[in-house]
Amino acid sequence: MYNVVQLFAKYGAHIMFVVLEIICFYLIINYNLVQKEIFLNSSNVYAAKIAQQQSKISQFSNLRNQNDSLMHENATLIENLITIEYSSDNIPEADSFYNQYSLIPASICNSTIHLRNNHFTLCKGSREGIKKDMGVISSHQGIIGIVRNVSENFSHVMSLLNSQTKISCSIKSRKGHGSLVWKTMDPLRMTLESIPKHEKIAVGDTVITSGYSTMFPRGILVGKIEKYVSIPGSNNYDITVKLFNDLTNIKYAYVIQNRLDTEQTKLEKEVVDE
Amino acid sequence: MNSAIQTNIIRIIFVFLAQVLIFKQITFSLGGLAYIHFLIYPIAILLMPVKTSRPVLLVLAFIFGIALDMFYDSPGIHAAALVFTAYIRNIIIIFLEPFDGYNIDDVPTLKRMGTGWFVSYISVALLIHTFVYFSIEAFSFVFFFEIFLNTIFSFIVTFIFVLVLQFIFRTKY
Repeated sequence: MYNVVQLFAKYGAHIMFVVLEIICFYLIINYNLVQKEIFLNSSNVYAAKIAQQQSKISQFSNLRNQNDSLMHENATLIENLITIEYSSDNIPEADSFYNQYSLIPASICNSTIHLRNNHFTLCKGSREGIKKDMGVISSHQGIIGIVRNVSENFSHVMSLLNSQTKISCSIKSRKGHGSLVWKTMDPLRMTLESIPKHEKIAVGDTVITSGYSTMFPRGILVGKIEKYVSIPGSNNYDITVKLFNDLTNIKYAYVIQNRLDTEQTKLEKEVVDE
Repeated sequence: MNSAIQTNIIRIIFVFLAQVLIFKQITFSLGGLAYIHFLIYPIAILLMPVKTSRPVLLVLAFIFGIALDMFYDSPGIHAAALVFTAYIRNIIIIFLEPFDGYNIDDVPTLKRMGTGWFVSYISVALLIHTFVYFSIEAFSFVFFFEIFLNTIFSFIVTFIFVLVLQFIFRTKY
């Protein structure tokens, strides 16, 4: 006891200083919103900076691949333009694609591919006009996913490789449409469901988006039919689709902006409400 | 000794009122880069007699800071900075000790200790206080550049003002 008293007599001022400062910081953190947020997030500020640097470096080291893919993409676009000019019948509703839909290019900050439910993060957000439920494609040849959540500078995209994905697709120059789901763990293959058995299909047919949702316009190329099985006792084929694009190796994406989006959903919702 | 306590109490009250009623209203913006705040209130603690014991200084600084925070709507920020300044004050005084030591009733004012001593004492103490205050306000050294600018500009303005005040009010204690 005597020792304790002596300790206080000797170091009382220092102990008091520490105690008072602790009280002050307790008050600061609990009653000041800004400081509270910084206290909770200060590690995030550094982490975000490091991640940004890292993505800069990896972007630089990937330039050659990126250039290649950009050139391919340009090539596809030019091909399409030529097709439109010479035989505008080959791509259905080609005009509406260019009027109704516009593309927002964005780079991909973060992505997962090896999980059951995969996600992407785009480096652009609501400031650039991205909204929830917009479709995301990597080029004319390939869907990436659907925007699920948007902040000011980033948007969170549900990847195509996700157990919740269900995208309405049809087969080019054939009838009928089905939905594209991801059942295997293979990032290159997906399954096309509910194409009825009376439709004729063949291995090597091209799968395109059907355009029945507001997210994707008709005619975006998805993949090729690799094989199909007609399950006994079912009305539908079980079709394995090999995707055109490799989702494990993409850095850039285009978000599809549909100008008539709200109009369509509003109209459809009115019918459902009745 | 009694009149020393009286002077200090009156000074604390006046400094507090001046800070809250006048200097709180004055903030200049330097082209959006830095903001100038008049933070003259540390002199209430800094001008107390040299031999004031540390616990007294700390408790006074804490109460003064909390009272100030009530008016600034920033619980704890001024108090934390002022408690730190009160703690560091005696160390500065020991560093600046003259050859023949301090007298028992010495007061760290311009009139008693001389211009050179007072300028070095008040500039070091105010600089530390301003820096600590802006650091705690920003709460993260990510904003180091802003803290630095704010500190420099606010310090210059406050320092000049404190000197002027000292020339006007030549108190004995």
